[in-house]
Amino acid sequence: MNHLSVQFTSVSKRYPHFTLDDIDLELPTGSIMGFVGANGAGKSTTIRILMGLVHQDRGTVEVLGRSMPADQATAKRDIGFVSEDMRLYGTATLGWHMEFIRSIYPGWEQRYADKLLHRFDLKPEQKIKGLSHGQRVKAALLLALARRPRLLVLDEPTTGLDPVARREVLAELMAVLIDEQRTIFFSSQNTLDVEQICDQITFIDRGRIIDSANKEIFLDRWRRVRLMLPPDAILPRLPGIVEVGGSSRLPVLTINQFDPAMVAACQDAGAAVQAVDAMTLEEIFIANVQSRRESTESVVA
Amino acid sequence: MNTAIVCRLIYKDWYLSRAMIIASLLVGGATLAAMAAAKGAQLAIILGIIVMATVLIGVGAILTSTMVNERKQQTLPFVMTLPISYLEYTTSKLIGSLLLFLVVWIAMLLGMIAVILGTPWFPHGLIPFVILMSVEVLATTCLIAAVSVTTESQGWMIGAAQFGGLGLNAVGWSIVRLHGIGSSMTGRQISWTPTATIILAVELAAIAVMIGVTFYVQSRKRDFV
Repeated sequence: MNHLSVQFTSVSKRYPHFTLDDIDLELPTGSIMGFVGANGAGKSTTIRILMGLVHQDRGTVEVLGRSMPADQATAKRDIGFVSEDMRLYGTATLGWHMEFIRSIYPGWEQRYADKLLHRFDLKPEQKIKGLSHGQRVKAALLLALARRPRLLVLDEPTTGLDPVARREVLAELMAVLIDEQRTIFFSSQNTLDVEQICDQITFIDRGRIIDSANKEIFLDRWRRVRLMLPPDAILPRLPGIVEVGGSSRLPVLTINQFDPAMVAACQDAGAAVQAVDAMTLEEIFIANVQSRRESTESVVA
Repeated sequence: MNTAIVCRLIYKDWYLSRAMIIASLLVGGATLAAMAAAKGAQLAIILGIIVMATVLIGVGAILTSTMVNERKQQTLPFVMTLPISYLEYTTSKLIGSLLLFLVVWIAMLLGMIAVILGTPWFPHGLIPFVILMSVEVLATTCLIAAVSVTTESQGWMIGAAQFGGLGLNAVGWSIVRLHGIGSSMTGRQISWTPTATIILAVELAAIAVMIGVTFYVQSRKRDFV
């Protein structure tokens, strides 16, 4: 079995006002990738290419060992997809949708579907048009999960959900992860959700992947170092400083390749290290995006 | 081609449109009954024909608009994430909507022929004209379906429906003036002439071309949602 569930190699897609540029992405089987980006960063375009719904202009895409978009019909037998902007048929009931999906997917598990109905507090006889946004997302998630897909692709599923519904959706996703062969590609603007459930993180901005790594590595290598610098001292040249904030006397370094030896280097330079703070994924994302944008703009200038 | 899934998608459209199809059949049946009971009264016959044409074109437009609606109502991503190719989706939409339309169309056509043959108020010579105009309605529905599927635009679809409606009037106006059709319309016998055969062949060829062009255009598309 291929150990990669998703593999993008040099994938590009050009639109009149947006370009997805040279995307390389690997998602190992059994892992959960958080795909984080701002609005318009290219998350949905990437997911549409992954699902075979949009043809890339260049590059190759393999999903579950199938070439996309050529083998999309076969690949989609093992993919469950839920998107924030995906709607079910308003005049039909949830029960009808379940029966419709069951008739297409032989792997549909009715017992699991019933369990999800109970857990999400949904009723099969409910018409979709009578459901709240949160219930619609849960219904779509139920339809995707009960077919037992090998790959679950979620495009901002928690957007617009109230905190309780969001927790329920995330809890179910975490329950799904018990199966180590199941892979999840989870796109979101919400770094808290991503931090909670993902083990791989990829940041995308303006159509380019700006960083991708294991979550623990991500969190370990980013630090904010608060210094007190005497008037005659000079900041040492350290690798991986993406931002220097604060004042000249109380600088705050944002570092993306933190190493404990850096603290000693600062102290050797005469600086007093006041604090070394871990960063949240949101802070890392913002710092990463800002530094990439600044470096791109300075190159252009 | 995964015909099992294509059939499931056609069944889905049937299920979602079933109320409208059944209502159309009831309205059409009631209109035919009223025409038969009108004892040849001209106003009743004209109104009946208008209602029949409206029902058929309306049903055709609604059925063929499902692709536009799926994009508008954001159900297209749900369907396209099923294990189907875009060609299979196109097949289910185009062939499915035409098949569903044919249910109403055949019922109406047979009903009209039954009323003409079964009551003393209508000349049997009308039957070739009724068949040709019914096939013209089918061709108009094909046009609306083709435009709906290829453009996925409500504006273009409405334009196609308006063009089709005008075309239907123009065709009706023209063929009653053809010697091989108009001269035998009031006759007591059914007279199927070579002119009628040529018109029917042209209509069927137009339907085949529209379906072929639709599949060709769809096969060249690269982005589906």
